[in-house]
Amino acid sequence: MNVDFEFDQSWQGDFLQRIDDDGPWANWELYKLAYEVEKHQSIPEFEGLQAPKHLPQLTPLPHQLEVAKQVVEKMNGKAILADEVGLGKTIEAGLILKEYMIRGLVKKVLILVPASLVSQWASELNQKFYIPAVQQKKSYMWEQYDVIVSSIDTAKRSPHREIVYEQDYDLIIIDEAHKLKNNKTKNYEFVQNLKKKFCLLLTATPIQNRIDEIFNLVSLLKPGHLGNQENFEESFGKKSRSIDDHEHLKELVNKVMIRNRRDDTGIEWTKRKVETVPIEFSETEQELYDAISAYRSSFSGFASSMFSILTLQREACSSREAVYFTLKKMLEKKNEDGSSAVPEDMVMGLMKKVEQVTQNSKAEKAVELIKQIDDKVIIFTEYRATQMYLQWFLQQNGISSVPFRGGFKRGKKDWMRELFKGKFQVLIATEAGGEGINLQFCNHIINYDLPWNPMRLEQRIGRIHRLGQEKDVHIYNFATKNTVEEHILKLLYEKINLFERVIGQLDDILTRLDLGNIEDHIQDIMLRSRSEGEMKIKMENLTSIISFEEQNGGEQHAATGNS
Amino acid sequence: MVVSSMQQQEIVNFLENYFVSNHCEILERHPGYMTVQLTVDLDKQLMNRPFYWTYVEKTGGTPNPMKLTLITDRDQTPDNVKGDFIHFGAPRLHQIFESTKKLASYIRLYQQSPPGAQGNTPLFPWLGLNVKISYKSDRKRDVLMSLGLQLINGIIVEDFQEKVEKLPLTPKIPDHTYTMSPLVKPQSGINRLQQYVRGYVETQDHSWADEARQRWDEDLALLNSFYEGIEEKPESYEIEKEALKEQYEPKVLVEIINGGLFYLCQNTM
Repeated sequence: MNVDFEFDQSWQGDFLQRIDDDGPWANWELYKLAYEVEKHQSIPEFEGLQAPKHLPQLTPLPHQLEVAKQVVEKMNGKAILADEVGLGKTIEAGLILKEYMIRGLVKKVLILVPASLVSQWASELNQKFYIPAVQQKKSYMWEQYDVIVSSIDTAKRSPHREIVYEQDYDLIIIDEAHKLKNNKTKNYEFVQNLKKKFCLLLTATPIQNRIDEIFNLVSLLKPGHLGNQENFEESFGKKSRSIDDHEHLKELVNKVMIRNRRDDTGIEWTKRKVETVPIEFSETEQELYDAISAYRSSFSGFASSMFSILTLQREACSSREAVYFTLKKMLEKKNEDGSSAVPEDMVMGLMKKVEQVTQNSKAEKAVELIKQIDDKVIIFTEYRATQMYLQWFLQQNGISSVPFRGGFKRGKKDWMRELFKGKFQVLIATEAGGEGINLQFCNHIINYDLPWNPMRLEQRIGRIHRLGQEKDVHIYNFATKNTVEEHILKLLYEKINLFERVIGQLDDILTRLDLGNIEDHIQDIMLRSRSEGEMKIKMENLTSIISFEEQNGGEQHAATGNS
Repeated sequence: MVVSSMQQQEIVNFLENYFVSNHCEILERHPGYMTVQLTVDLDKQLMNRPFYWTYVEKTGGTPNPMKLTLITDRDQTPDNVKGDFIHFGAPRLHQIFESTKKLASYIRLYQQSPPGAQGNTPLFPWLGLNVKISYKSDRKRDVLMSLGLQLINGIIVEDFQEKVEKLPLTPKIPDHTYTMSPLVKPQSGINRLQQYVRGYVETQDHSWADEARQRWDEDLALLNSFYEGIEEKPESYEIEKEALKEQYEPKVLVEIINGGLFYLCQNTM
């Protein structure tokens, strides 16, 4: 037999000692029990998943079990998990981790995730998988704890970096690994030098598009799987844009990557019910908006000033507080010579109009709607000033609310979520605050302000419309009539049926289009169109491109799913 | 054959057995939960409060071991009862499993002679060993084996645990019996059984190891081709190479679960 044979030598020392000392001896009942325990814990087969038996509270979906099985049995524990958004990659990773731990193949684990998700990962692993994961907080923890969750930013810096490299990790899990697609970054270099016995890379965005990115990601996992860089570039070249052009490449990639598509999973998603709520300005609000708009024509040609006017217009649709806040900042901005960067009289004039605004029609509508809904609601706003105003205004109307912002520390975010789950009816979130917390217990969203990036809208909705959401999701879009906001709604979002979509679909399309920053495009259109007609045409162009890609791009990429 | 997880009733039985065997009084028994008074020893094993015990022992205070409530069926447990929910994957149960194994590593037992036996009955020494054989590469599977070695005539018997559980056994040498001196010393006994296990393992099919080596070779070839043409291979290469070895290298690991001395009547096995 040519296999290493290791016989446990540790038991006999104590045994012989006890013979000499005449004891102490175990109790027969316990002795029998111990053997029985071992029988239950032993794994008689190489194949098959043991983890589900140890997780009676968890009901993984069929596709999640399939993924776990495939990674353990066919991919030797090294894989890129690239399921479409919302299919539960964390569960898949948890299952795989649990499986390896049960089989005794993995003991020490490093989990690198975005900073905003550290606490969520740790708590999910603990609660759903009974895995004792801890959030990294102090330096000594790397050595002391077997399962540790941290952000790459923290781990790659001294003093952590050195300690991490000293540890012997059996399994490394990296979430949002698509951020490692550029091999020149410090993050990439850090991960490349980690020893990877078993490794899982989780990515949410489709990576089939850019061949060099695929190469970088796969090479992190399994250096050499796609050859070395020279050969790779030679064979696959920079000329082909997409992986679809190469059957062989696709095959190789599929060996290390799993990608389930929503449609394959047979899951029934709850629906999205969308309602546009038109808001009419009151007289004083309209005056403010008009006053701002009046400056548009006088500044045409000066891009940055135009941009400011546009911003003010959008803010006027939100709250006068938001406008005021920006105006104040404008006043504080000075040129190099100390003169004010912005025409003061313009700003002062607008400030007067702000002071004259007597009510906030949107907020009033919000209160009405919230009372009607009589259930938990999330309000998304673009502006912090509006967020603060709304909290106050809601309270005036007897509605309890908690704020949520990107700047909150993890602990505070968790706390706000708890409050929202508990006695508080409303969560008011600014954009960045949307990430990183699970809000599926709520099924109503008010888009108080509409962002100009459809992906951000998707992400907002994705906070509650995901696996685990049991009810249909209601989306209320506030749009003030006859303003830039309404234009965005009617010309863009409604045209591309953004709201009726299934999760992640838009993400797919936009990434394939490789348009660059879509928000820039939209802003560009809004800024530079000299007439409403011109704007309408340009927006229509944009929506056509998206629709076209949706119809035709979809078929090509179906083949890259795992079959 | 696939080993099923423990059913709830088995778990309840197991827990009761465990606590009783460890001299803990079961204070309350309900269909869905139980409350146990821990002994000092078990409190130390399970409750993870080393500072408390250090303090009590240093100050000579009265030790106050905790009560533990274990819920085996949440549906049958009223809401106001607080305790650890126990099911097959539960950490508390796992802890108790580990404690069981630790507390029950070594044993010595004597067979009670059948009633009506004449005069003094000789008891023959056996070394019993329960082992777990793990076939490990990037995958793993386990096989349990229970062996008994008679320490006078050197006979080795398989399924020893199953056989011995059928006998009436007692921890103190019964009246009217005497033990025969072993000819094989315990240390040699262990070695002999080790050889036996090795012999058994050698007769098994090791295609799993060949397959693991093949996977190892494939990945190693990939790694090498990735760094081909580079004279001085960077550190990442060595790290990866080492990782591959740790991941794939096939090994057979034999762990002793527990074992002991059994003094049995002649011809029992």
